[in-house]
Amino acid sequence: MNEILSRIADNCWIELAGRWFLGLTFIYASYHKIVAPANFAKLIYGYDLFAGILINPIAIILPFVELVCGLALILGFYPRSAALIINTMLLSFIIILSINLIRGHEFDCGCFSSGRSGYASSTEMTLVRDIIYGVIGLQIFLFRKPRKACIAI
Amino acid sequence: MGWTKIVKDSFVLVGISVVAAFSVNFFSPVGIALVGRWDDRQGVVSARAKTDSAGDALAITDVKVAKQIHDSGKALFVDARSRDDYEEGHIQGAVSLPVGQFDEAVEAFLEQYPSEGLIVTYCSGRACDDSHRLAQLLLALGYPNVRVFIDGYPGWEAERYPVE
Repeated sequence: MNEILSRIADNCWIELAGRWFLGLTFIYASYHKIVAPANFAKLIYGYDLFAGILINPIAIILPFVELVCGLALILGFYPRSAALIINTMLLSFIIILSINLIRGHEFDCGCFSSGRSGYASSTEMTLVRDIIYGVIGLQIFLFRKPRKACIAI
Repeated sequence: MGWTKIVKDSFVLVGISVVAAFSVNFFSPVGIALVGRWDDRQGVVSARAKTDSAGDALAITDVKVAKQIHDSGKALFVDARSRDDYEEGHIQGAVSLPVGQFDEAVEAFLEQYPSEGLIVTYCSGRACDDSHRLAQLLLALGYPNVRVFIDGYPGWEAERYPVE
């Protein structure tokens, strides 16, 4: 079992597929936040965890971190750092989701669409999805063999 | 693994992101202010986007004033929330015009309420801007006198004012 896992983790094609999948996912996730930053800011407000002064800067910067890291993964531009940043964002989001899940505060995660408030997606499903992304990110981060299709490692 | 390089490269990626983010936000027609208004004691919460068209001038910020207007019988209260929310409970006498279904519902509304009198829109309180959006849409349609009751249904209900 360990050998199979290690062969998967060391497979350069799986690493490439993971990078493209995660990259495209994050580019897609950034799109609606960039075209409607006010809606995204409102969603962050809905998390009820951030000081007011931080909400707009987060709403402005975060989508571009997603976009740039997504592009970096696809182009193979500092992929290890891009995976580290993406996993840091995922971990932060998992913590935020968990806090809100524990205290029963339901909200729209706004992950892939700035839905109108009141249309909360399943927090548990979002958690599972983020953990899967995190595993893919970890494989990219820990990959030690020569990578395919990279412009700057 | 070369942590120094990983951290350095991460700063490069984050740096590019920050510069791109503030540049795009500055020039974008949908950009937002660097600091929003997230304290609902100051009014309806908002990211203060360039597209924010509903000014505070339309706002009725005091529930008691809204009640006086309601009691005068000279205003039409319009509920901007979803039809389901409206049916669960709304301000007495209010009519439903969900902002999410405005295009489908507006024709019937125009026919039924051609009034030039005061229209007061409301939604779910200060964290909700549907009432502002509805007010703007009604003003654009030519209704001359539109106000927004920013505390909305929760504020009204909390005062135990008449609902149905």
